[in-house]
Amino acid sequence: MATQDDDTLTGVVPDADIEPTPAELAHARRFAELVDKTLAGRTPPAMSADDRALLEVATVIRATHGSLELAPSRQRAVVEDALRQAIGASAAGPGAVTPIARARRWQRAPWLVAATTTLVAAAAVLMLWLRPPGSGGHAHIAPVPEEWTSRPTDALVGPIAREHAGDASTRIDTIFADRLDGFRARRLARGARP
Amino acid sequence: MRYVIAGSWVALAMAAAGCVACSGERDASPPPSTRVADPGDVIDQGLMVALAQAKNFHHKAKVYMSDGNQVAAITAVRQILSLHFPRGAAEADDVRNDARALLAKLLVSQGQLDEAARTIDEGLAQSQRESFFVANLYTVQGEIHEARAAAFDATGDAGKASAVDERHQAIGSYDRSIQINERLQQKLLEDR
Repeated sequence: MATQDDDTLTGVVPDADIEPTPAELAHARRFAELVDKTLAGRTPPAMSADDRALLEVATVIRATHGSLELAPSRQRAVVEDALRQAIGASAAGPGAVTPIARARRWQRAPWLVAATTTLVAAAAVLMLWLRPPGSGGHAHIAPVPEEWTSRPTDALVGPIAREHAGDASTRIDTIFADRLDGFRARRLARGARP
Repeated sequence: MRYVIAGSWVALAMAAAGCVACSGERDASPPPSTRVADPGDVIDQGLMVALAQAKNFHHKAKVYMSDGNQVAAITAVRQILSLHFPRGAAEADDVRNDARALLAKLLVSQGQLDEAARTIDEGLAQSQRESFFVANLYTVQGEIHEARAAAFDATGDAGKASAVDERHQAIGSYDRSIQINERLQQKLLEDR
Protein backbone atom coordinates (compact mmCIF):
# COMPACT_ATOMS: atom_id res chain seq x y z
CA MET A 1 0.00 0.00 0.00
CA ALA A 2 1.39 3.37 -0.99
CA THR A 3 2.00 5.92 1.70
CA GLN A 4 2.42 9.67 1.42
CA ASP A 5 6.15 9.17 1.96
CA ASP A 6 6.28 7.03 -1.07
CA ASP A 7 4.83 9.88 -3.12
CA THR A 8 7.54 12.37 -2.15
CA LEU A 9 9.16 12.38 -5.59
CA THR A 10 6.20 11.55 -7.76
CA GLY A 11 3.39 13.36 -5.90
CA VAL A 12 2.16 16.90 -6.33
CA VAL A 13 4.70 19.55 -5.31
CA PRO A 14 3.13 21.55 -2.42
CA ASP A 15 3.08 25.33 -2.54
CA ALA A 16 6.04 26.95 -0.82
CA ASP A 17 3.77 29.28 1.25
CA ILE A 18 1.71 26.48 2.72
CA GLU A 19 2.69 25.38 6.20
CA PRO A 20 4.14 21.86 6.28
CA THR A 21 1.96 19.19 7.71
CA PRO A 22 3.13 17.25 10.77
CA ALA A 23 3.70 14.24 8.55
CA GLU A 24 5.92 16.26 6.26
CA LEU A 25 7.89 17.62 9.21
CA ALA A 26 8.33 14.13 10.59
CA HIS A 27 9.52 12.92 7.18
CA ALA A 28 11.94 15.83 6.97
CA ARG A 29 13.39 15.08 10.39
CA ARG A 30 13.73 11.42 9.56
CA PHE A 31 15.48 12.22 6.26
CA ALA A 32 17.81 14.68 8.03
CA GLU A 33 18.79 11.92 10.45
CA LEU A 34 19.34 9.61 7.48
CA VAL A 35 21.67 12.15 5.85
CA ASP A 36 23.61 12.60 9.10
CA LYS A 37 24.04 8.86 9.46
CA THR A 38 25.23 8.56 5.87
CA LEU A 39 27.83 11.32 6.33
CA ALA A 40 29.01 9.57 9.47
CA GLY A 41 29.46 6.37 7.50
CA ARG A 42 26.52 4.61 9.07
CA THR A 43 24.20 4.33 6.11
CA PRO A 44 21.25 2.10 6.98
CA PRO A 45 21.13 -1.08 4.92
CA ALA A 46 17.48 -0.64 3.99
CA MET A 47 15.51 2.44 3.04
CA SER A 48 12.77 3.36 0.64
CA ALA A 49 13.55 4.03 -3.03
CA ASP A 50 12.62 7.70 -2.67
CA ASP A 51 14.83 8.11 0.37
CA ARG A 52 17.74 6.44 -1.47
CA ALA A 53 17.26 8.74 -4.47
CA LEU A 54 17.07 11.83 -2.26
CA LEU A 55 20.09 10.66 -0.32
CA GLU A 56 22.15 10.30 -3.52
CA VAL A 57 21.11 13.79 -4.61
CA ALA A 58 22.09 15.18 -1.22
CA THR A 59 25.47 13.44 -1.39
CA VAL A 60 26.17 14.83 -4.86
CA ILE A 61 25.15 18.34 -3.81
CA ARG A 62 27.47 18.16 -0.81
CA ALA A 63 30.37 16.83 -2.90
CA THR A 64 30.00 19.61 -5.47
CA HIS A 65 30.25 22.18 -2.74
CA GLY A 66 33.71 20.81 -1.89
CA SER A 67 32.90 19.91 1.60
CA LEU A 68 33.45 16.20 0.94
CA GLU A 69 37.07 15.17 1.56
CA LEU A 70 38.82 11.82 1.35
CA ALA A 71 41.07 10.60 4.07
CA PRO A 72 44.76 11.60 3.45
CA SER A 73 45.86 7.99 2.93
CA ARG A 74 43.05 7.41 0.45
CA GLN A 75 43.86 10.65 -1.39
CA ARG A 76 47.53 9.61 -1.74
CA ALA A 77 46.55 6.16 -2.97
CA VAL A 78 44.23 7.61 -5.62
CA VAL A 79 46.89 10.04 -6.89
CA GLU A 80 49.61 7.38 -7.00
CA ASP A 81 47.25 5.06 -8.83
CA ALA A 82 46.50 7.73 -11.42
CA LEU A 83 50.22 8.43 -11.92
CA ARG A 84 50.94 4.74 -12.38
CA GLN A 85 48.35 4.52 -15.08
CA ALA A 86 49.81 7.62 -16.70
CA ILE A 87 53.25 5.97 -17.13
CA GLY A 88 51.77 2.78 -18.45
CA ALA A 89 51.96 0.53 -15.42
CA SER A 90 48.94 -1.32 -14.14
CA ALA A 91 47.07 0.27 -11.37
CA ALA A 92 48.13 -0.99 -7.99
CA GLY A 93 46.05 -1.78 -5.08
CA PRO A 94 45.89 0.58 -2.17
CA GLY A 95 48.62 -1.35 -0.37
CA ALA A 96 51.23 -1.08 -3.17
CA VAL A 97 51.73 2.63 -3.63
CA THR A 98 54.83 3.89 -5.51
CA PRO A 99 56.33 7.12 -4.24
CA ILE A 100 55.65 10.03 -6.60
CA ALA A 101 59.35 10.96 -6.96
CA ARG A 102 60.32 7.45 -8.07
CA ALA A 103 57.41 7.28 -10.50
CA ARG A 104 58.50 10.55 -12.10
CA ARG A 105 62.01 9.15 -12.61
CA TRP A 106 60.65 6.10 -14.44
CA GLN A 107 58.35 8.30 -16.46
CA ARG A 108 61.37 10.04 -17.99
CA ALA A 109 63.27 6.83 -18.78
CA PRO A 110 61.83 6.14 -22.27
CA TRP A 111 62.51 9.70 -23.32
CA LEU A 112 66.10 9.43 -22.12
CA VAL A 113 66.57 6.16 -24.05
CA ALA A 114 65.01 7.66 -27.17
CA ALA A 115 67.16 10.79 -26.98
CA THR A 116 70.37 8.82 -26.40
CA THR A 117 69.81 6.35 -29.23
CA THR A 118 68.80 9.13 -31.60
CA LEU A 119 72.01 10.98 -30.80
CA VAL A 120 74.10 7.85 -31.42
CA ALA A 121 72.30 7.22 -34.72
CA ALA A 122 72.77 10.83 -35.81
CA ALA A 123 76.48 10.61 -34.94
CA ALA A 124 76.87 7.42 -36.98
CA VAL A 125 75.09 8.94 -39.98
CA LEU A 126 77.25 12.05 -39.72
CA MET A 127 80.40 9.94 -39.62
CA LEU A 128 79.36 8.13 -42.79
CA TRP A 129 78.41 11.37 -44.48
CA LEU A 130 81.43 13.43 -43.51
CA ARG A 131 84.12 10.79 -43.94
CA PRO A 132 86.86 11.94 -46.30
CA PRO A 133 86.62 10.75 -49.89
CA GLY A 134 88.85 7.85 -50.75
CA SER A 135 88.77 6.49 -47.20
CA GLY A 136 86.62 3.56 -48.34
CA GLY A 137 87.60 0.00 -49.03
CA HIS A 138 89.18 0.87 -52.37
CA ALA A 139 91.82 3.21 -50.92
CA HIS A 140 94.68 0.72 -51.14
CA ILE A 141 93.67 -1.10 -54.27
CA ALA A 142 96.42 -2.20 -56.58
CA PRO A 143 95.98 -1.44 -60.27
CA VAL A 144 95.18 -4.16 -62.74
CA PRO A 145 98.37 -5.53 -64.31
CA GLU A 146 98.91 -3.89 -67.68
CA GLU A 147 99.12 -7.19 -69.52
CA TRP A 148 95.53 -7.94 -68.46
CA THR A 149 94.17 -4.79 -70.03
CA SER A 150 92.88 -3.94 -73.44
CA ARG A 151 95.30 -1.32 -74.80
CA PRO A 152 96.86 0.02 -78.01
CA THR A 153 99.19 -2.40 -79.75
CA ASP A 154 101.78 0.19 -80.84
CA ALA A 155 104.36 -0.93 -78.31
CA LEU A 156 103.88 -4.53 -79.41
CA VAL A 157 103.99 -3.98 -83.17
CA GLY A 158 106.32 -1.00 -83.50
CA PRO A 159 106.71 1.17 -86.60
CA ILE A 160 105.50 -0.52 -89.78
CA ALA A 161 108.02 -0.34 -92.60
CA ARG A 162 106.72 0.39 -96.07
CA GLU A 163 107.77 -3.00 -97.39
CA HIS A 164 105.68 -4.60 -94.61
CA ALA A 165 102.63 -2.36 -95.02
CA GLY A 166 100.55 -5.31 -96.20
CA ASP A 167 101.76 -7.84 -93.63
CA ALA A 168 98.67 -7.52 -91.52
CA SER A 169 98.46 -11.28 -91.15
CA THR A 170 101.79 -11.41 -89.33
CA ARG A 171 100.82 -8.53 -87.05
CA ILE A 172 97.45 -9.98 -86.11
CA ASP A 173 99.23 -13.19 -85.11
CA THR A 174 101.50 -11.19 -82.81
CA ILE A 175 98.61 -9.20 -81.33
CA PHE A 176 96.47 -12.29 -80.78
CA ALA A 177 99.29 -14.22 -79.09
CA ASP A 178 100.07 -11.34 -76.75
CA ARG A 179 96.47 -10.73 -75.75
CA LEU A 180 95.91 -14.45 -75.26
CA ASP A 181 98.75 -14.46 -72.74
CA GLY A 182 97.13 -11.63 -70.82
CA PHE A 183 93.72 -13.24 -70.99
CA ARG A 184 95.07 -16.54 -69.64
CA ALA A 185 97.05 -14.83 -66.90
CA ARG A 186 93.95 -12.97 -65.77
CA ARG A 187 91.86 -16.12 -65.80
CA LEU A 188 94.44 -18.04 -63.80
CA ALA A 189 94.70 -15.24 -61.25
CA ARG A 190 90.92 -15.18 -60.87
CA GLY A 191 90.69 -18.94 -60.36
CA ALA A 192 89.88 -19.83 -63.96
CA ARG A 193 86.82 -17.61 -64.01
CA PRO A 194 86.35 -15.56 -67.20
CA MET B 1 54.32 6.02 -24.81
CA ARG B 2 54.26 3.27 -27.39
CA TYR B 3 55.48 5.75 -29.98
CA VAL B 4 58.37 6.73 -27.76
CA ILE B 5 59.41 3.08 -27.34
CA ALA B 6 59.06 2.40 -31.07
CA GLY B 7 61.10 5.51 -31.82
CA SER B 8 63.77 4.28 -29.45
CA TRP B 9 63.99 0.97 -31.31
CA VAL B 10 64.24 2.71 -34.66
CA ALA B 11 66.99 4.97 -33.37
CA LEU B 12 68.80 1.96 -31.91
CA ALA B 13 68.58 0.15 -35.25
CA MET B 14 69.97 3.21 -37.05
CA ALA B 15 72.82 3.43 -34.58
CA ALA B 16 73.58 -0.27 -35.00
CA ALA B 17 73.56 0.07 -38.78
CA GLY B 18 75.90 3.04 -38.56
CA CYS B 19 78.27 1.14 -36.29
CA VAL B 20 78.24 -1.89 -38.59
CA ALA B 21 79.05 0.36 -41.54
CA CYS B 22 81.88 2.03 -39.64
CA SER B 23 83.32 -1.27 -38.49
CA GLY B 24 82.99 -2.59 -42.04
CA GLU B 25 85.19 0.28 -43.18
CA ARG B 26 87.81 -0.64 -40.63
CA ASP B 27 87.62 -4.29 -41.64
CA ALA B 28 88.39 -3.34 -45.26
CA SER B 29 92.07 -4.01 -44.56
CA PRO B 30 94.08 -5.89 -45.62
CA PRO B 31 93.61 -4.38 -49.06
CA PRO B 32 92.81 -6.66 -51.97
CA SER B 33 95.65 -7.28 -54.36
CA THR B 34 93.56 -6.47 -57.40
CA ARG B 35 90.57 -4.29 -57.96
CA VAL B 36 87.41 -5.32 -59.70
CA ALA B 37 88.20 -4.14 -63.20
CA ASP B 38 85.73 -2.40 -65.43
CA PRO B 39 84.49 -4.69 -68.17
CA GLY B 40 85.82 -2.33 -70.82
CA ASP B 41 89.44 -2.14 -69.74
CA VAL B 42 90.44 -5.78 -69.41
CA ILE B 43 91.02 -8.46 -72.00
CA ASP B 44 87.81 -10.42 -71.99
CA GLN B 45 86.34 -13.23 -73.99
CA GLY B 46 84.67 -10.82 -76.42
CA LEU B 47 87.98 -9.24 -77.36
CA MET B 48 89.69 -12.62 -77.78
CA VAL B 49 86.88 -13.87 -80.02
CA ALA B 50 87.10 -10.75 -82.21
CA LEU B 51 90.89 -11.03 -82.47
CA ALA B 52 90.66 -14.74 -83.30
CA GLN B 53 88.16 -14.02 -86.08
CA ALA B 54 90.37 -11.26 -87.49
CA LYS B 55 93.30 -13.68 -87.41
CA ASN B 56 91.32 -16.32 -89.30
CA PHE B 57 90.11 -13.89 -91.97
CA HIS B 58 93.67 -12.66 -92.50
CA HIS B 59 94.89 -16.23 -92.94
CA LYS B 60 92.04 -16.95 -95.28
CA ALA B 61 92.93 -13.88 -97.34
CA LYS B 62 96.57 -14.96 -97.36
CA VAL B 63 95.65 -18.33 -98.76
CA TYR B 64 93.51 -16.69 -101.46
CA MET B 65 96.37 -14.31 -102.31
CA SER B 66 98.87 -17.18 -102.58
CA ASP B 67 96.36 -18.86 -104.88
CA GLY B 68 96.12 -15.71 -106.99
CA ASN B 69 92.46 -15.11 -106.06
CA GLN B 70 92.64 -11.43 -105.18
CA VAL B 71 88.87 -10.87 -105.31
CA ALA B 72 88.22 -13.55 -102.71
CA ALA B 73 91.08 -12.16 -100.64
CA ILE B 74 89.46 -8.71 -100.75
CA THR B 75 86.16 -10.21 -99.59
CA ALA B 76 87.87 -11.96 -96.69
CA VAL B 77 89.64 -8.79 -95.59
CA ARG B 78 86.42 -6.76 -95.85
CA GLN B 79 84.84 -9.13 -93.33
CA ILE B 80 87.39 -8.03 -90.74
CA LEU B 81 85.97 -4.50 -90.94
CA SER B 82 82.54 -5.73 -89.84
CA LEU B 83 83.77 -7.66 -86.81
CA HIS B 84 82.24 -6.69 -83.48
CA PHE B 85 84.79 -5.69 -80.85
CA PRO B 86 83.97 -4.89 -77.22
CA ARG B 87 83.18 -1.21 -76.73
CA GLY B 88 86.29 0.83 -75.96
CA ALA B 89 88.76 -1.90 -76.96
CA ALA B 90 91.85 -0.10 -78.26
CA GLU B 91 92.83 -3.13 -80.33
CA ALA B 92 89.77 -2.65 -82.51
CA ASP B 93 91.13 0.52 -84.14
CA ASP B 94 94.51 -1.08 -84.77
CA VAL B 95 93.12 -4.29 -86.28
CA ARG B 96 90.67 -2.41 -88.53
CA ASN B 97 93.31 0.06 -89.73
CA ASP B 98 95.68 -2.78 -90.53
CA ALA B 99 92.90 -4.53 -92.45
CA ARG B 100 92.16 -1.30 -94.35
CA ALA B 101 95.81 -0.94 -95.28
CA LEU B 102 95.89 -4.49 -96.67
CA LEU B 103 92.52 -4.02 -98.39
CA ALA B 104 93.73 -0.81 -100.05
CA LYS B 105 96.86 -2.56 -101.32
CA LEU B 106 94.75 -5.39 -102.71
CA LEU B 107 92.45 -2.87 -104.43
CA VAL B 108 95.48 -1.07 -105.89
CA SER B 109 96.71 -4.39 -107.26
CA GLN B 110 93.30 -4.73 -108.92
CA GLY B 111 93.54 -1.22 -110.39
CA GLN B 112 90.72 0.09 -108.17
CA LEU B 113 92.58 3.21 -107.09
CA ASP B 114 89.55 5.31 -106.18
CA GLU B 115 88.10 2.52 -104.03
CA ALA B 116 91.49 2.07 -102.40
CA ALA B 117 91.73 5.82 -101.65
CA ARG B 118 88.20 5.77 -100.18
CA THR B 119 89.13 2.84 -97.95
CA ILE B 120 92.13 4.75 -96.61
CA ASP B 121 90.16 7.98 -96.11
CA GLU B 122 87.49 6.14 -94.12
CA GLY B 123 90.13 4.59 -91.90
CA LEU B 124 91.78 7.95 -91.24
CA ALA B 125 88.42 9.56 -90.50
CA GLN B 126 87.39 6.87 -88.03
CA SER B 127 90.68 6.66 -86.15
CA GLN B 128 90.45 7.82 -82.56
CA ARG B 129 94.18 8.36 -82.01
CA GLU B 130 97.57 8.37 -83.69
CA SER B 131 99.17 4.95 -84.03
CA PHE B 132 101.65 3.04 -86.14
CA PHE B 133 98.62 1.67 -88.00
CA VAL B 134 97.46 5.18 -88.85
CA ALA B 135 100.97 5.94 -90.04
CA ASN B 136 100.75 2.81 -92.17
CA LEU B 137 97.50 4.09 -93.68
CA TYR B 138 99.33 7.26 -94.75
CA THR B 139 102.07 5.06 -96.20
CA VAL B 140 99.54 3.15 -98.29
CA GLN B 141 97.88 6.45 -99.18
CA GLY B 142 101.25 7.57 -100.57
CA GLU B 143 101.46 4.35 -102.59
CA ILE B 144 98.01 5.04 -104.04
CA HIS B 145 99.11 8.54 -105.07
CA GLU B 146 102.21 7.00 -106.69
CA ALA B 147 100.03 4.50 -108.53
CA ARG B 148 97.85 7.37 -109.80
CA ALA B 149 100.92 9.30 -110.88
CA ALA B 150 102.08 6.27 -112.82
CA ALA B 151 98.64 6.01 -114.41
CA PHE B 152 98.77 9.69 -115.46
CA ASP B 153 102.30 9.19 -116.80
CA ALA B 154 100.95 6.40 -118.98
CA THR B 155 98.54 8.81 -120.64
CA GLY B 156 101.41 10.81 -122.12
CA ASP B 157 101.96 14.55 -121.98
CA ALA B 158 98.33 15.29 -121.08
CA GLY B 159 98.69 13.63 -117.71
CA LYS B 160 102.11 14.99 -116.78
CA ALA B 161 100.81 17.81 -114.55
CA SER B 162 98.42 15.48 -112.74
CA ALA B 163 101.21 12.97 -112.29
CA VAL B 164 103.41 15.62 -110.71
CA ASP B 165 100.55 16.66 -108.44
CA GLU B 166 99.96 13.05 -107.39
CA ARG B 167 103.63 12.60 -106.59
CA HIS B 168 103.55 15.71 -104.42
CA GLN B 169 100.57 14.31 -102.59
CA ALA B 170 102.40 11.02 -102.20
CA ILE B 171 105.31 12.82 -100.60
CA GLY B 172 102.90 14.60 -98.29
CA SER B 173 101.39 11.29 -97.23
CA TYR B 174 104.79 9.71 -96.60
CA ASP B 175 105.81 12.75 -94.58
CA ARG B 176 102.76 12.46 -92.36
CA SER B 177 103.46 8.79 -91.88
CA ILE B 178 107.05 9.54 -90.89
CA GLN B 179 105.97 12.29 -88.47
CA ILE B 180 103.49 10.03 -86.73
CA ASN B 181 106.04 7.26 -86.45
CA GLU B 182 108.59 9.66 -84.95
CA ARG B 183 106.13 11.05 -82.40
CA LEU B 184 105.00 7.61 -81.34
CA GLN B 185 108.51 6.23 -81.04
CA GLN B 186 109.52 9.25 -78.96
CA LYS B 187 106.50 8.69 -76.73
CA LEU B 188 107.27 4.99 -76.32
CA LEU B 189 110.83 5.83 -75.35
CA GLU B 190 109.60 8.30 -72.75
CA ASP B 191 107.17 5.77 -71.33
CA ARG B 192 109.89 3.19 -70.74
